[in-house]
Amino acid sequence: MTLDRFRDCAGAYGADRRRWPADAQPLYDRFARAAEGAAILAAAERTDRFLDAWQTGAPDDALAQSIAARASGPRVRRRIAWQATAFAAAAVIGFVIGFAQARNDGGADVVTQLLLGPASMRGIGL
Amino acid sequence: MAAVARQDARAYARLVERHLGWSLRFVERLVGGRADAEDLVQTAFLRVWLGASRWEPNAKFSTWFYRVLYNLCMDHFRAHTAPTEALDEAIPDGGQSSEERLAGSQRAARVRAALAALPERQRAAIVLCYYEERSQAEAAALLAVSEGALESLLSRGRAALKKHLGRELH
Repeated sequence: MTLDRFRDCAGAYGADRRRWPADAQPLYDRFARAAEGAAILAAAERTDRFLDAWQTGAPDDALAQSIAARASGPRVRRRIAWQATAFAAAAVIGFVIGFAQARNDGGADVVTQLLLGPASMRGIGL
Repeated sequence: MAAVARQDARAYARLVERHLGWSLRFVERLVGGRADAEDLVQTAFLRVWLGASRWEPNAKFSTWFYRVLYNLCMDHFRAHTAPTEALDEAIPDGGQSSEERLAGSQRAARVRAALAALPERQRAAIVLCYYEERSQAEAAALLAVSEGALESLLSRGRAALKKHLGRELH
Protein backbone atom coordinates (compact mmCIF):
# COMPACT_ATOMS: atom_id res chain seq x y z
CA MET A 1 0.00 0.00 0.00
CA THR A 2 2.69 2.51 0.93
CA LEU A 3 4.75 1.59 -2.13
CA ASP A 4 1.64 2.20 -4.23
CA ARG A 5 1.38 5.64 -2.71
CA PHE A 6 5.08 6.20 -3.40
CA ARG A 7 4.47 5.24 -7.05
CA ASP A 8 1.46 7.57 -7.27
CA CYS A 9 3.47 10.48 -5.89
CA ALA A 10 6.37 9.85 -8.27
CA GLY A 11 3.88 9.69 -11.13
CA ALA A 12 2.33 13.01 -10.15
CA TYR A 13 5.17 15.04 -8.69
CA GLY A 14 8.27 13.57 -10.30
CA ALA A 15 11.57 12.44 -8.84
CA ASP A 16 12.48 15.54 -6.85
CA ARG A 17 11.55 15.27 -3.18
CA ARG A 18 10.98 19.04 -2.92
CA ARG A 19 7.94 18.81 -5.17
CA TRP A 20 6.25 16.08 -3.15
CA PRO A 21 3.52 16.94 -0.63
CA ALA A 22 4.95 17.40 2.86
CA ASP A 23 2.99 14.45 4.22
CA ALA A 24 4.42 12.13 1.54
CA GLN A 25 8.06 13.10 1.99
CA PRO A 26 8.68 10.53 4.76
CA LEU A 27 7.52 7.93 2.26
CA TYR A 28 10.06 9.27 -0.22
CA ASP A 29 12.80 8.91 2.36
CA ARG A 30 11.70 5.40 3.12
CA PHE A 31 11.65 4.05 -0.44
CA ALA A 32 13.96 6.24 -2.49
CA ARG A 33 17.02 4.08 -1.89
CA ALA A 34 15.28 0.73 -2.03
CA ALA A 35 15.66 -1.03 -5.39
CA GLU A 36 11.98 -0.84 -6.28
CA GLY A 37 11.66 2.76 -5.19
CA ALA A 38 14.82 3.79 -7.04
CA ALA A 39 13.49 2.25 -10.25
CA ILE A 40 10.21 4.18 -9.88
CA LEU A 41 12.13 7.41 -9.30
CA ALA A 42 14.40 6.77 -12.28
CA ALA A 43 11.37 6.50 -14.55
CA ALA A 44 9.94 9.72 -13.11
CA GLU A 45 13.29 11.44 -13.54
CA ARG A 46 13.25 10.76 -17.27
CA THR A 47 10.04 12.76 -17.53
CA ASP A 48 11.57 15.48 -15.35
CA ARG A 49 14.63 15.72 -17.58
CA PHE A 50 12.41 15.91 -20.61
CA LEU A 51 10.43 18.80 -19.08
CA ASP A 52 13.67 20.55 -18.12
CA ALA A 53 14.64 20.76 -21.77
CA TRP A 54 12.27 23.69 -22.21
CA GLN A 55 13.93 26.66 -20.60
CA THR A 56 12.31 29.98 -21.31
CA GLY A 57 14.40 33.10 -21.84
CA ALA A 58 14.46 36.17 -19.65
CA PRO A 59 12.28 39.08 -20.77
CA ASP A 60 13.85 41.84 -22.85
CA ASP A 61 14.46 45.16 -21.16
CA ALA A 62 12.39 46.69 -23.93
CA LEU A 63 9.35 44.71 -22.81
CA ALA A 64 9.60 45.99 -19.23
CA GLN A 65 10.01 49.54 -20.53
CA SER A 66 7.09 49.14 -22.88
CA ILE A 67 4.82 47.88 -20.07
CA ALA A 68 5.87 50.70 -17.75
CA ALA A 69 5.39 53.24 -20.53
CA ARG A 70 1.86 52.05 -21.24
CA ALA A 71 0.88 53.06 -17.72
CA SER A 72 1.36 56.70 -18.64
CA GLY A 73 0.37 56.28 -22.29
CA PRO A 74 -2.39 58.21 -24.00
CA ARG A 75 -5.02 55.49 -23.54
CA VAL A 76 -4.56 55.39 -19.79
CA ARG A 77 -4.27 59.16 -19.55
CA ARG A 78 -7.53 59.43 -21.51
CA ARG A 79 -9.24 57.07 -19.10
CA ILE A 80 -8.02 59.01 -16.08
CA ALA A 81 -9.08 62.27 -17.77
CA TRP A 82 -12.56 60.84 -18.36
CA GLN A 83 -12.85 59.85 -14.71
CA ALA A 84 -11.80 63.35 -13.61
CA THR A 85 -14.25 64.94 -16.05
CA ALA A 86 -17.09 62.73 -14.83
CA PHE A 87 -16.31 63.65 -11.23
CA ALA A 88 -16.23 67.37 -12.04
CA ALA A 89 -19.50 67.12 -13.99
CA ALA A 90 -21.18 65.34 -11.07
CA ALA A 91 -20.00 68.08 -8.71
CA VAL A 92 -21.36 70.85 -10.97
CA ILE A 93 -24.71 69.08 -11.38
CA GLY A 94 -24.95 68.59 -7.62
CA PHE A 95 -24.24 72.28 -7.03
CA VAL A 96 -26.86 73.40 -9.58
CA ILE A 97 -29.53 71.13 -8.11
CA GLY A 98 -28.71 72.30 -4.61
CA PHE A 99 -28.80 75.93 -5.73
CA ALA A 100 -32.20 75.49 -7.36
CA GLN A 101 -33.65 73.77 -4.30
CA ALA A 102 -32.32 76.46 -1.97
CA ARG A 103 -33.85 79.20 -4.13
CA ASN A 104 -37.22 77.41 -4.12
CA ASP A 105 -37.02 77.28 -0.32
CA GLY A 106 -37.04 81.12 -0.35
CA GLY A 107 -33.72 81.86 1.35
CA ALA A 108 -32.53 85.50 1.38
CA ASP A 109 -28.95 84.84 0.36
CA VAL A 110 -28.83 81.41 -1.22
CA VAL A 111 -25.22 81.65 -2.31
CA THR A 112 -24.06 82.42 1.23
CA GLN A 113 -26.22 79.58 2.57
CA LEU A 114 -24.82 77.15 0.06
CA LEU A 115 -21.24 78.16 0.69
CA LEU A 116 -21.30 78.67 4.46
CA GLY A 117 -24.51 76.97 5.59
CA PRO A 118 -27.47 78.52 7.50
CA ALA A 119 -25.73 78.26 10.88
CA SER A 120 -22.92 80.53 9.73
CA MET A 121 -25.46 83.14 8.61
CA ARG A 122 -27.00 83.11 12.06
CA GLY A 123 -23.50 83.47 13.49
CA ILE A 124 -23.01 86.77 11.69
CA GLY A 125 -26.46 88.06 12.68
CA LEU A 126 -28.36 87.36 9.42
CA MET B 1 1.12 48.20 -4.30
CA ALA B 2 0.07 51.08 -2.06
CA ALA B 3 2.32 53.39 -4.07
CA VAL B 4 1.05 51.92 -7.34
CA ALA B 5 -2.50 52.55 -6.13
CA ARG B 6 -1.52 56.22 -5.81
CA GLN B 7 -0.58 56.06 -9.50
CA ASP B 8 3.14 56.28 -8.72
CA ALA B 9 4.68 55.39 -12.08
CA ARG B 10 8.11 54.67 -10.59
CA ALA B 11 6.66 52.21 -8.09
CA TYR B 12 4.79 50.60 -10.96
CA ALA B 13 8.02 50.28 -12.97
CA ARG B 14 9.67 48.58 -9.97
CA LEU B 15 6.71 46.21 -9.65
CA VAL B 16 7.00 45.31 -13.34
CA GLU B 17 10.73 44.75 -13.01
CA ARG B 18 10.25 42.46 -10.00
CA HIS B 19 7.43 40.33 -11.39
CA LEU B 20 7.89 40.36 -15.15
CA GLY B 21 10.34 37.45 -15.31
CA TRP B 22 8.29 34.80 -13.59
CA SER B 23 4.99 35.98 -15.02
CA LEU B 24 6.29 35.82 -18.59
CA ARG B 25 7.80 32.37 -17.98
CA PHE B 26 4.52 31.11 -16.49
CA VAL B 27 2.34 32.43 -19.30
CA GLU B 28 4.73 31.33 -22.05
CA ARG B 29 4.58 27.76 -20.79
CA LEU B 30 0.80 27.88 -20.55
CA VAL B 31 0.09 29.35 -23.98
CA GLY B 32 3.10 27.84 -25.74
CA GLY B 33 4.46 30.94 -27.49
CA ARG B 34 6.52 33.95 -26.57
CA ALA B 35 4.66 36.59 -28.58
CA ASP B 36 1.25 35.62 -27.18
CA ALA B 37 2.76 35.47 -23.69
CA GLU B 38 4.19 38.98 -24.01
CA ASP B 39 0.81 40.34 -25.12
CA LEU B 40 -1.01 38.65 -22.25
CA VAL B 41 1.50 39.75 -19.65
CA GLN B 42 1.31 43.33 -20.89
CA THR B 43 -2.47 43.19 -20.56
CA ALA B 44 -2.17 41.76 -17.04
CA PHE B 45 0.18 44.50 -15.89
CA LEU B 46 -2.05 47.17 -17.38
CA ARG B 47 -4.93 45.72 -15.38
CA VAL B 48 -2.79 45.99 -12.26
CA TRP B 49 -2.15 49.66 -12.97
CA LEU B 50 -5.76 50.50 -13.75
CA GLY B 51 -7.18 48.47 -10.86
CA ALA B 52 -4.53 49.21 -8.23
CA SER B 53 -6.79 51.56 -6.28
CA ARG B 54 -9.15 48.63 -5.62
CA TRP B 55 -6.33 46.37 -4.42
CA GLU B 56 -7.04 44.73 -1.06
CA PRO B 57 -3.93 43.26 0.49
CA ASN B 58 -5.48 40.01 1.75
CA ALA B 59 -3.07 37.90 -0.31
CA LYS B 60 0.48 38.15 -1.60
CA PHE B 61 0.70 40.10 -4.83
CA SER B 62 2.23 37.12 -6.63
CA THR B 63 -0.60 34.80 -5.55
CA TRP B 64 -3.18 37.28 -6.79
CA PHE B 65 -1.24 37.96 -9.98
CA TYR B 66 -0.99 34.24 -10.79
CA ARG B 67 -4.78 34.23 -10.84
CA VAL B 68 -4.97 37.27 -13.10
CA LEU B 69 -2.50 35.66 -15.50
CA TYR B 70 -4.19 32.27 -15.38
CA ASN B 71 -7.61 33.78 -16.11
CA LEU B 72 -6.19 35.73 -19.04
CA CYS B 73 -4.69 32.52 -20.39
CA MET B 74 -8.04 30.74 -20.08
CA ASP B 75 -9.68 33.60 -22.01
CA HIS B 76 -6.93 33.27 -24.59
CA PHE B 77 -7.60 29.53 -24.94
CA ARG B 78 -11.28 30.18 -25.47
CA ALA B 79 -10.43 32.60 -28.24
CA HIS B 80 -7.75 30.39 -29.83
CA THR B 81 -8.17 26.67 -30.11
CA ALA B 82 -4.45 25.84 -30.19
CA PRO B 83 -1.07 27.52 -29.79
CA THR B 84 -0.44 29.41 -33.00
CA GLU B 85 3.30 29.92 -32.96
CA ALA B 86 5.88 27.87 -34.79
CA LEU B 87 7.37 25.15 -32.63
CA ASP B 88 10.88 25.85 -33.83
CA GLU B 89 10.95 29.28 -32.19
CA ALA B 90 14.42 30.03 -30.87
CA ILE B 91 15.34 29.41 -27.25
CA PRO B 92 18.13 31.13 -25.34
CA ASP B 93 21.56 29.84 -26.43
CA GLY B 94 23.76 30.49 -23.38
CA GLY B 95 26.90 30.58 -25.50
CA GLN B 96 26.47 27.14 -27.08
CA SER B 97 27.64 26.04 -30.50
CA SER B 98 25.17 26.16 -33.38
CA GLU B 99 24.68 22.35 -33.26
CA GLU B 100 24.02 22.43 -29.53
CA ARG B 101 21.62 25.32 -30.00
CA LEU B 102 19.79 23.44 -32.72
CA ALA B 103 19.57 20.28 -30.62
CA GLY B 104 18.43 22.28 -27.59
CA SER B 105 15.90 24.14 -29.68
CA GLN B 106 14.51 20.88 -31.08
CA ARG B 107 14.23 19.35 -27.61
CA ALA B 108 12.47 22.45 -26.31
CA ALA B 109 10.12 22.38 -29.29
CA ARG B 110 9.22 18.77 -28.53
CA VAL B 111 8.46 19.61 -24.92
CA ARG B 112 6.39 22.58 -25.96
CA ALA B 113 4.45 20.49 -28.46
CA ALA B 114 3.89 17.73 -25.92
CA LEU B 115 2.62 20.17 -23.32
CA ALA B 116 0.44 21.93 -25.88
CA ALA B 117 -1.20 18.59 -26.68
CA LEU B 118 -2.35 18.18 -23.07
CA PRO B 119 -5.76 19.37 -21.88
CA GLU B 120 -5.44 22.91 -20.49
CA ARG B 121 -5.92 22.00 -16.84
CA GLN B 122 -3.38 19.18 -16.94
CA ARG B 123 -0.91 21.54 -18.59
CA ALA B 124 -1.64 24.24 -16.02
CA ALA B 125 -1.15 21.76 -13.16
CA ILE B 126 2.25 20.70 -14.52
CA VAL B 127 3.37 24.27 -15.16
CA LEU B 128 2.35 25.36 -11.67
CA CYS B 129 3.69 22.38 -9.73
CA TYR B 130 6.70 21.37 -11.80
CA TYR B 131 8.06 24.51 -13.41
CA GLU B 132 6.80 27.11 -10.95
CA GLU B 133 7.15 24.85 -7.89
CA ARG B 134 3.97 26.20 -6.31
CA SER B 135 2.71 24.29 -3.31
CA GLN B 136 -0.11 21.80 -3.80
CA ALA B 137 -2.43 24.07 -1.81
CA GLU B 138 -1.63 27.11 -3.91
CA ALA B 139 -1.89 25.31 -7.24
CA ALA B 140 -5.14 23.61 -6.23
CA ALA B 141 -6.63 26.95 -5.14
CA LEU B 142 -5.65 28.57 -8.40
CA LEU B 143 -7.22 25.78 -10.43
CA ALA B 144 -10.23 25.70 -8.09
CA VAL B 145 -9.86 21.98 -7.38
CA SER B 146 -9.07 19.87 -4.33
CA GLU B 147 -5.49 18.76 -3.73
CA GLY B 148 -6.57 15.21 -4.61
CA ALA B 149 -7.95 16.41 -7.92
CA LEU B 150 -4.73 18.34 -8.54
CA GLU B 151 -2.73 15.16 -8.02
CA SER B 152 -4.97 13.39 -10.49
CA LEU B 153 -4.42 16.16 -13.08
CA LEU B 154 -0.67 15.89 -12.58
CA SER B 155 -0.67 12.09 -12.85
CA ARG B 156 -2.72 12.10 -16.02
CA GLY B 157 -0.67 14.90 -17.51
CA ARG B 158 2.67 13.27 -16.84
CA ALA B 159 1.36 9.88 -18.00
CA ALA B 160 0.23 11.48 -21.26
CA LEU B 161 3.60 13.17 -21.66
CA LYS B 162 5.34 9.87 -21.13
CA LYS B 163 3.14 8.19 -23.71
CA HIS B 164 3.46 11.03 -26.19
CA LEU B 165 7.21 10.98 -25.89
CA GLY B 166 7.65 7.27 -25.37
CA ARG B 167 10.48 6.91 -27.82
CA GLU B 168 12.45 9.72 -26.26
CA LEU B 169 11.85 8.60 -22.70
CA HIS B 170 12.72 4.92 -23.15
